[in-house]
Amino acid sequence: MSNEDFGAGLQAAIARHIGAPGTIHDLQRLTGGANKTTWSFDADVAGAREQFILQLASARANDESNPLAGVSPHLTADEDARLMIAAVKAGVPAPRVRAILKDDDGLGPGYVTERIAGETLATRILREERFAGARATMAKQCGAILAAIHRIPVAEVPFLMKLTPAEHIGAQRRIIEFYGFHSPALELGLKWAEQHAPKNIRHTVVHGDFRAGNFIVGEEGIRLVLDWEIGQSGDPMQDLGWVCVKTWRFGGKKPVGGFGTREDLFEAYEKASGHSVDPAHVRFWEAYGSVRWGIGCFSLGTRGVEEMSIERCAIGRRVEEPLWDFLNLIEGRD
Amino acid sequence: MPQSTPKAAILLEAAVKYLESELMPTLKGYYQFQTRVTVNVLNTLRRELELRNAQAEAEHSRLVAMLGYDGDVETLSVDLADRIRAGAIAIDDPALRAHVRQSLADALAINNPKWLTR
Repeated sequence: MSNEDFGAGLQAAIARHIGAPGTIHDLQRLTGGANKTTWSFDADVAGAREQFILQLASARANDESNPLAGVSPHLTADEDARLMIAAVKAGVPAPRVRAILKDDDGLGPGYVTERIAGETLATRILREERFAGARATMAKQCGAILAAIHRIPVAEVPFLMKLTPAEHIGAQRRIIEFYGFHSPALELGLKWAEQHAPKNIRHTVVHGDFRAGNFIVGEEGIRLVLDWEIGQSGDPMQDLGWVCVKTWRFGGKKPVGGFGTREDLFEAYEKASGHSVDPAHVRFWEAYGSVRWGIGCFSLGTRGVEEMSIERCAIGRRVEEPLWDFLNLIEGRD
Repeated sequence: MPQSTPKAAILLEAAVKYLESELMPTLKGYYQFQTRVTVNVLNTLRRELELRNAQAEAEHSRLVAMLGYDGDVETLSVDLADRIRAGAIAIDDPALRAHVRQSLADALAINNPKWLTR
């Protein structure tokens, strides 16, 4: 599709779903990942100029011929949008969905959300003076936001893949089996996870990728939680552990995203959810999260070789970082 | 025939110097980022040339001691992974822990030495 056709198609979709005339301004491609492409634009709708984000799923996402499709959670664009709608309804600061694209829009699967200003780069949020106030409050905010996410009624989002901790680990095992990857460190990590997987869990909606880098942050704190595409249902403590994984501290010293303390996170979560937090239970998910991210680096690196992408290939060489963190964590050296 | 000169490590160093001090300042955004990644990869390669042979030798000795037979490092390492998975070696075995720790530290010394002191 040419740029003109794409712009015209988008205008028609905006006019149809949100408001006429839908004239598009400042259309810019922000990122193009393996699974989706993100665009930023403004549009004239019903007498006002509004700011929007467009997310389009790539052909590769949810490709039925992908042998790993369905092994670990991945939402279609339509499901992703429906999860965000349910999240907003539950009081979560998720992007407000303004339109879900239909086949006859001719743009492929995707959706349009409102666009909120702010910073997403974790390193800037951790270092710049103007975010000092945000940093002081973000761990507590994370606790309250996660409590809200975990309150989303599972029945409203029945398409979420349901995973017990054991099934979660099993999915990671299938991924490394598929690639024929034999690593003593990774096997140690998966075996440890199998032996320590929590058995008595609550069952809730789980964001799945709740971490620094996926927040839009202003000087007052977190404005929006992004990237809902691996939403799933299972043990809510998974989200509390993932936000503490060392990789997502981006060099910051504090355990929650580099910016906050576990005490603040847990206390705010308990207060907002009414459920007590067992730190050892969260620690399982932090340790296992490191193993899972090691496998993520391996998978991305393998795709990098297929694509001959220097950026992706370099991620393949990061496998040992989270595995090192994992080993230190289970040996109490973190 | 003697090894050609300049040596590989020197060629890499010169390539990195050009990319970092001459090319990078002229670039922005995507191209600057990709060039930064390229510089990192070349530095990784330089460290691998310098460190890997000695590491592989030590890794080989550890694997032979743990598994009780000889072979090449890759084959032995795959066997160790499979034994961990089968439960034939306990994951709290001190020799296994020491081996995995050393192997991870070795890999980080090549791939991202800063991570070891983070």
